[in-house]
Amino acid sequence: MPASPDFVEARRKAGLQAYEAEEVPTWRRSGFWTTTLRGLDLDALEPKRYEEGLPELDLGDEEHAALIVQRGANVVHTDLVDERIIVMPLEQAVEQHEDLVREYFGKRLPHDEGKFAAGTAAFWTGGVFIHVPKDIQVEHPIQVVWLIDEPGTAQWAHTLVVVGEHSEVKIREFFRAPDFEGQALHSGAFELYALPGSQVDVAHYQDWGRGQVYDLSTRRVEIRRDARVKWVPIHLGGRLTKQTLDIITAEDGSDMKHTGMYFTERDEHLDLFTTDRHEAGHTNGDTVWKGVLTGESRASYEGLIHILPKAPEVDTYLQTHQMLLSPKARGDAIPSLIVEVDNVKASHGGTVGELDEELIFYMMSRGLPRAEAVRVLVEGYFEEVVQRLEDPGLEELVRRRIAEKLKGAEDQVREFIGERAEAA
Amino acid sequence: MTLEIQNLHVRTEDREILHGVDLTVNRGETHALMGPNGSGKSTLANTLMGNPTYEVTEGRILLDGEDLTEADPDERARAGLFLAFQYPATIPGVSVANFLRMAVNAGREEPIKVKEFGQLLRKNVELLKISDDFTKRYLNEGFSGGEKKRAEILQLAMLQPAFAVLDETDSGLDIDALRIVSDGVNAMRGDERGFLIITHYTRILNYVRPEFVHIMLDGRIAREGGAELADELEAKGYEFVREEVAGRAG
Repeated sequence: MPASPDFVEARRKAGLQAYEAEEVPTWRRSGFWTTTLRGLDLDALEPKRYEEGLPELDLGDEEHAALIVQRGANVVHTDLVDERIIVMPLEQAVEQHEDLVREYFGKRLPHDEGKFAAGTAAFWTGGVFIHVPKDIQVEHPIQVVWLIDEPGTAQWAHTLVVVGEHSEVKIREFFRAPDFEGQALHSGAFELYALPGSQVDVAHYQDWGRGQVYDLSTRRVEIRRDARVKWVPIHLGGRLTKQTLDIITAEDGSDMKHTGMYFTERDEHLDLFTTDRHEAGHTNGDTVWKGVLTGESRASYEGLIHILPKAPEVDTYLQTHQMLLSPKARGDAIPSLIVEVDNVKASHGGTVGELDEELIFYMMSRGLPRAEAVRVLVEGYFEEVVQRLEDPGLEELVRRRIAEKLKGAEDQVREFIGERAEAA
Repeated sequence: MTLEIQNLHVRTEDREILHGVDLTVNRGETHALMGPNGSGKSTLANTLMGNPTYEVTEGRILLDGEDLTEADPDERARAGLFLAFQYPATIPGVSVANFLRMAVNAGREEPIKVKEFGQLLRKNVELLKISDDFTKRYLNEGFSGGEKKRAEILQLAMLQPAFAVLDETDSGLDIDALRIVSDGVNAMRGDERGFLIITHYTRILNYVRPEFVHIMLDGRIAREGGAELADELEAKGYEFVREEVAGRAG
């Protein structure tokens, strides 16, 4: 690898120091949640490199403005269709677009926010850089794919996106792995800067499969004056996921629409902390998160609205719902609010519950067998958030995957609901 | 070709509600089941459909000779039984049209053709004077009381069951809506179908004239007769039945 510019090297060095100084963390949440990495054998993992080439992928959309695929430690495929934009490995961008990268790289992602953020700052390889220059309307989505192919992989990932003034773009990030036996790590950093007046629609579709993939990531989105970002984090699989997801209205008139969903099964463990951070006034927020838990899975969603002192006239709300489909699943969904200024409109709400037996009875009374009734009810429950994606390709992908997962969980769901019916 | 309810005893967790109900509805007949609040009418309706909240401790439910007492609700539906709910469930994320398609297909070997379904839906939407966007809305989400009842009757019209139980479909409807719903029910009456109309009031019976009227009190059928019994009830109220029953017992 050629020597990187000084600012990249400085960040790597500082990151390495912080990484080495810190113990492997345990996160305690709301008094009784613990996310621990005790089961992860970090020393057994290593970055794995692959030859160039396009692996087989199902990404929902047929056309793209660009496609970039990182497999293990390196980018194996880049296809740029819309030549007005820049999409390339970050390793390459730090050389070829040094000034632009220097301005934004790590701006919202300090290297010292914990061991894995530090590790990512130190060890990232390959990486993705996306730049949409100003006044460009990109028709098809830019697709970014992170693949882990085999156990023993450590993937240290960094995506940097800069969307120019008054540009419009759709970005789809996919996180995929086959159902392998063994452990792997994805430690990711994602930062997106939506410059004034831009319109960005970004989704992260995580489906690490049945292998033991640990995903420890931080994603941050900064929205500048009068820009609008539609943000959709989707979690449909992974052994353990611990993510910090922050979306920031940084300047007046900016606007966020934030939609999240998750479906956990087997022994999966999901720990999400999202913050809708309003740093400037006259900004709007609209956040909905929904999740379903099956098996013996654990899922904790904590969603914070934070309105800072210099941010009056904010209008925002957050709601979060969680549905338990198994007696052994445990979850919580906690909305919270910190308001440091007068004259704002902010509300939040959350529910955690089971599927209502009366609804199942109603569906069955119309001839639907119990398993199908449950499937339709759960799909209907997700439909509200799926519709917010406003992207037929992605909607179809999500619907299909949820239907598959429900099919897999059928026996468990039947048993659970049967037990409840008998207890009633 | 009958729906037979034989000596039905039903309880919930804390008490017995039905103490031996006998009632037979033949295809081609329309029966009214009347009674004051708490008499057990809705318990009977829910038990017929197999609501797991209610437990049958004695007696049987037969549909065309087939014993459905222990059957799951979906088996009962596929056997030809339908319940229009007093309080229909709200199903978020599932449109009326989608729900109807699933329900129609549940009773068929081969899924209904798109065109055929569309025609059937259009016909029934017109019959019940429902606006076009109604079928695109999520089932019962944000529906008024009247809209919910209409959605129930739309399902009835789409599914064309052998026996339909209408549980207080009339309550909460204004006169116009009651007339539309009644017209819809009347259009479906015929030799191949039986109705059991459960109601607290005689109002709907002016539009849908039953051949038989049963009055339920305290979990038992207290009196039976023809349509004139409803008129008598209208004039005298439930108390007269209660007194009569008490008189008989004494």
